[in-house]
Amino acid sequence: MLVSWRWISEYVDTAGVDPRAFAERFTMSVAEIEEVHGFGDGLERVRVADVLAVSPHPGADKLRLARLDTGDSELVVVCGAPNLAVGQRLAFAPVDTRLPSGIEVRPGEIRGVQSPGMLCSERDLGLSDDHGGLLVLDGCQAAPGTPLPEALALVDTLYEIDNKSITHRPDLWGHHGIAREIAALLDKPLQPLDIEGLRFGEPAPVQLRVDDDSGCSRYLCARITGVTIAPSPVDLRLRLRSLGVRPISNVVDVTNLAMLETGNPLHAFDARFLRGDAIIVRRATPDERITTLDEQERSLLVHDCVIADAEGPVALAGVMGGADSEIRHDTGEVILEAANFDGATIRRTSVRLGLRTESSARFEKGLDPDTARLGALRFLKLVQDLCPDASIVSHLADKGPHCTTPPAPVVIHTSAAYLRSRLGVTDEELDDAWMDRTFTSLGFGVDRQGDDLVVHVPGFRAGRDVGIAEDLVEELGRIWGYDHVRSEAASVPARPPVLPPLRPLERGARASLTLSARLTEVMLYSFDHEPMRERLGLAEQAPDSSQLPRLSLRNAISAESTRLRRSLVPNLLAAMERNLERGTREAEGHKGLRVGIFEIGRAFVPVSGDEGASADMGVPAVLDGDQRDAFLGRMGEALAEGTRSAHASATPLPWQPRRLAIAIGERLGGGADGAGGAVLPPDDVTRSLFHEAVQAVRGVFAELNRPAPEIRRLPAPGTAPSDTQRIPGAVDLAPTWLHPARHGAILCGDRFVGLVTMLHPVIRQRLAVPAEIALVELDLDAVLPIAPCDDAGASPPRFPAMSFDLTIHTRPEIRAEDLRQRIEAAARAADAGIFETVRFIARFDGAADQAQPRALTFRTSCRHADRTLSERELAAVEKGVLKALKGWLYEVGEPAPIALPGRGGGGR
Amino acid sequence: MSGGSDWRVGLAETGARLRTAIEAAADLAMVRELELSALGRKGEVTALMKGIGALEKSQRREYGAATGALRKEIEAAIRDRRQAIKDALIAAELVDSGFDETLPPEPAPEGHLHPLSIVQRDLEEVFTSMGFHVLDYPEVESEFYNFEGLNIPGWHPARDMQDTFWLDDGHLLRTHTSPGQVRALHAFEPPFRAVFPGQVYRYEATDASHEHTFHQVEGLMVDRLVTVGHLLDAMRTLLAAIFKRDVEVRLRPGYFPFVEPGFELDIVCQVCGGDGCPVCKYGGWVELLPCGLVHPNVLLAGGLDPSEWQGWAFGLGLSRLVMMRYGIADIRLLASGDVRFLAQFPATV
Repeated sequence: MLVSWRWISEYVDTAGVDPRAFAERFTMSVAEIEEVHGFGDGLERVRVADVLAVSPHPGADKLRLARLDTGDSELVVVCGAPNLAVGQRLAFAPVDTRLPSGIEVRPGEIRGVQSPGMLCSERDLGLSDDHGGLLVLDGCQAAPGTPLPEALALVDTLYEIDNKSITHRPDLWGHHGIAREIAALLDKPLQPLDIEGLRFGEPAPVQLRVDDDSGCSRYLCARITGVTIAPSPVDLRLRLRSLGVRPISNVVDVTNLAMLETGNPLHAFDARFLRGDAIIVRRATPDERITTLDEQERSLLVHDCVIADAEGPVALAGVMGGADSEIRHDTGEVILEAANFDGATIRRTSVRLGLRTESSARFEKGLDPDTARLGALRFLKLVQDLCPDASIVSHLADKGPHCTTPPAPVVIHTSAAYLRSRLGVTDEELDDAWMDRTFTSLGFGVDRQGDDLVVHVPGFRAGRDVGIAEDLVEELGRIWGYDHVRSEAASVPARPPVLPPLRPLERGARASLTLSARLTEVMLYSFDHEPMRERLGLAEQAPDSSQLPRLSLRNAISAESTRLRRSLVPNLLAAMERNLERGTREAEGHKGLRVGIFEIGRAFVPVSGDEGASADMGVPAVLDGDQRDAFLGRMGEALAEGTRSAHASATPLPWQPRRLAIAIGERLGGGADGAGGAVLPPDDVTRSLFHEAVQAVRGVFAELNRPAPEIRRLPAPGTAPSDTQRIPGAVDLAPTWLHPARHGAILCGDRFVGLVTMLHPVIRQRLAVPAEIALVELDLDAVLPIAPCDDAGASPPRFPAMSFDLTIHTRPEIRAEDLRQRIEAAARAADAGIFETVRFIARFDGAADQAQPRALTFRTSCRHADRTLSERELAAVEKGVLKALKGWLYEVGEPAPIALPGRGGGGR
Repeated sequence: MSGGSDWRVGLAETGARLRTAIEAAADLAMVRELELSALGRKGEVTALMKGIGALEKSQRREYGAATGALRKEIEAAIRDRRQAIKDALIAAELVDSGFDETLPPEPAPEGHLHPLSIVQRDLEEVFTSMGFHVLDYPEVESEFYNFEGLNIPGWHPARDMQDTFWLDDGHLLRTHTSPGQVRALHAFEPPFRAVFPGQVYRYEATDASHEHTFHQVEGLMVDRLVTVGHLLDAMRTLLAAIFKRDVEVRLRPGYFPFVEPGFELDIVCQVCGGDGCPVCKYGGWVELLPCGLVHPNVLLAGGLDPSEWQGWAFGLGLSRLVMMRYGIADIRLLASGDVRFLAQFPATV
């Protein structure tokens, strides 16, 4: 909003105050001034001149010659403006003048006639963009020759106030309200609005009915006859120009001027076009339409508030007037409207129609209903001043719930000591007299009984602005100046702070994944990207192949991102694809481009019906009865208007588990046809990516001091390994990207914490770039309860271990971990006292013809705590293991069940 | 056996020949080879020593002494030659032989933290060192915690200012970290102080300086008496810790429904030091964070009696701080997942 310092100075004595320097004080105490502009600067050489005669230009049809009285001399100048006429008073720029618009007036001939200067339009003078004709100085009393800045009281300083900083201050949307603040800051009196000397007529000529109490709390109107429509005087027009409002005609300009002054929007109807004899404020009926002033026809809805005559809507309340009843050049009788409309109603209508006006912007803030009365009176006063023949033939009709049941005055009981204590100031720094004077100049009434204060809040601050003692702390603080506040250290008792339980896990995982696994952390959107999911076929599926539900947005930012992710993998996979693709382009022909990225963030999993509400929902669950009543007592009225239902609802929040997802990908050489899909990843690439992913997971567990997890294939996709527990909202068991033959569940004892998998080959084929990718998704919430390892501190063994190796030829489906566990069980059974570990040592993949099947080698170590083992003892364990193993391998039908024992190193 | 001097000559010749060969040996391998061929189990000198049995007893003593001396002589020659070769090698290593310390090491992949992780970790350490709890709250939030509990009822213009993503289930994506204020009031006995960093969402179009997804950190302190002076002191201390130097600040009125009085806190422009530059739009000050004294209605929503407890709160744009610290021009880079951008950041905090 633009504020004119010159206008402010009509209400407050600002003598001696530099408006540019004062802007900072205003910003620090009232509202942010974004910029300070000068208006009318650089016009000192421009003079007032009267047109004595006009004659044709001898050499050009479109030019004329004007004989001017410029005060000290008569001059003839060449002029091309269409509106030039004898008797006009104009702005004349003599030669060698440089105008603010950048125009330089130079001596010279125009089509053979010497011109000693030029007559100026508003644009020439830098006052507006209007170049339709010369600026005519109607109503200007200055003699010819007077410098323009003196003649028009033109020069001004404008404050551009950030509208966002006054949304809570409806009283600041007019100059008089701003002037009140400045008066308080300067400790000067504020001149009241001039509404004296109005003469009203009889009650009869206006019939008013307010049918919409909720949409319109107050409506005032009056009938004015004898109006002559004409341009406004030049100073008034320029004032509107300077504030960004286009002058139209005296009556319309005065509605705008009174709005800029009081903050209350006004509207004037041409009384000829109001049908019937009543003005009705009501909601629109279905199928009603109105053509607004901007010539747009608009369909109305039943919650739109309208002003109607006997036949239909004539204005869209608080937003824009109707075209049919607008003021025309021949209007002689005017109906004035000054009203107070409900902010939410106006906002809804203006947002729906995409029609934001000066009027709707003000009503949305919730204006004081009494401001409508001031606006009406100011308008009438200005019309009487401008049109001496106009007479108000009605009384000022005034209806609406605000008139019948005025709101109770807002009174705050507090104490000067409390107000000072919240600012942290003493009574010497901020004394009683200053306090009372400040409240008074801001419009508050103060009754003081010693230290106790009863503060009466003025109507224009009472709406939603000032209601409690804390609001008064702000009033005093900002006028006093927050830069006077002394810093003061708090004395909260020192206690060890807490961290979110997951934070050490997140930090450990980040450290391990960046420093050891050497991956790059990404942070991606919480929204799924539907086209990408569709292209790659990424929907999460339940075991029965139905799609798992995701949380939907009611107002998505685009049709492509309408749901919240229930897994981190799809966006991570898309980021991986983009990075591999970029790598392809940048390193054309380079082999072995590998990218490793990870994300730690939330997944969002809807709570299904039977999972029960989480404990932390809404007010009722948390606050006890008294606390809840206290809160609702304070907020109750507001909640009734707004969203009380929402917190009575028991809908639990969704699960929002913190996940860790990893993607490690390698770009493969493209096929001859350039289509990546044809390429099968080489076995060693697949294996090394999978191992890198598993290593990254193990590294995280090691960093977190948790036992290494077991990686085991799911019994079937979608089926948890038997006897495992999953946290609510856990990683899904059957995502489409799960490779059914190349994956493992990440298990910690009986706890399922996540999945590691190669990308499903069907999805792999759809990638924009030939690549093999390993994926991990892990629930950090599920890792949290796993007990940290605490077996540190043991002394190193005093006697050497002895070991033996077993190489076992098996079918590929037999898992190494199964064999290892068998060996371990057998070794423990053979002699629990000396068995130490069984470790996987090596693998050998058999030739394709199966003549030499796959072989796995394990090393079993034994140790006695108090002496060196004998060969005999070791042999006994080995024998027991072989016996148990043979039995089991025969059982599962191994063709070549066993096994060439070999000695491992003895001294390890 | 005649020619008692023959073996003497032979030993002398052998000794001379071996010494010559040893002295001529070019490297340690050759020395070792000569050592084996002379002194090894089947070596020449060993064989000579074994030859003692073929001599008459009278000569054995002398022969034994002579072959022993020969062996010592050869051993010494080998030792000397070894030492000489090693000395030469070390001497050679000590002159510049083209060792190029400027050659880059083999490229190894490196890990990188996201800049938000780095700055958030920094802040959390500053705050915990000052006794603040660090708390973590849901991103999908109820209307109550995001709005009503923060004194923002349905009609409030603030609901316009913070355009909200609404979910089908009636909840919303939190528009700020401020819901943590009410949650923290529910969770902790006063007095306490806490911060809650996290991701927040606004329903708005993205461009280089706007994102629908970004990060904030909210701070709250609750005590019996909390003044504007306390707030100012806390902000000065925190900012000094964050910027690692004293930062001049000012409080100016700002409107936020959950604080009263409410402030915009400006800091002196860190680019020009307050003299005026394009970054501060020649004003010398940069708007950094909103803050204020906790509104009594928020305390009530948190189950506290506002006549007994007071508080201050602030909200800091974490994403903006990250952009300031690293000079990031486009906020969208943060969620781009582009490793070319992310690879600029270190792996450790």
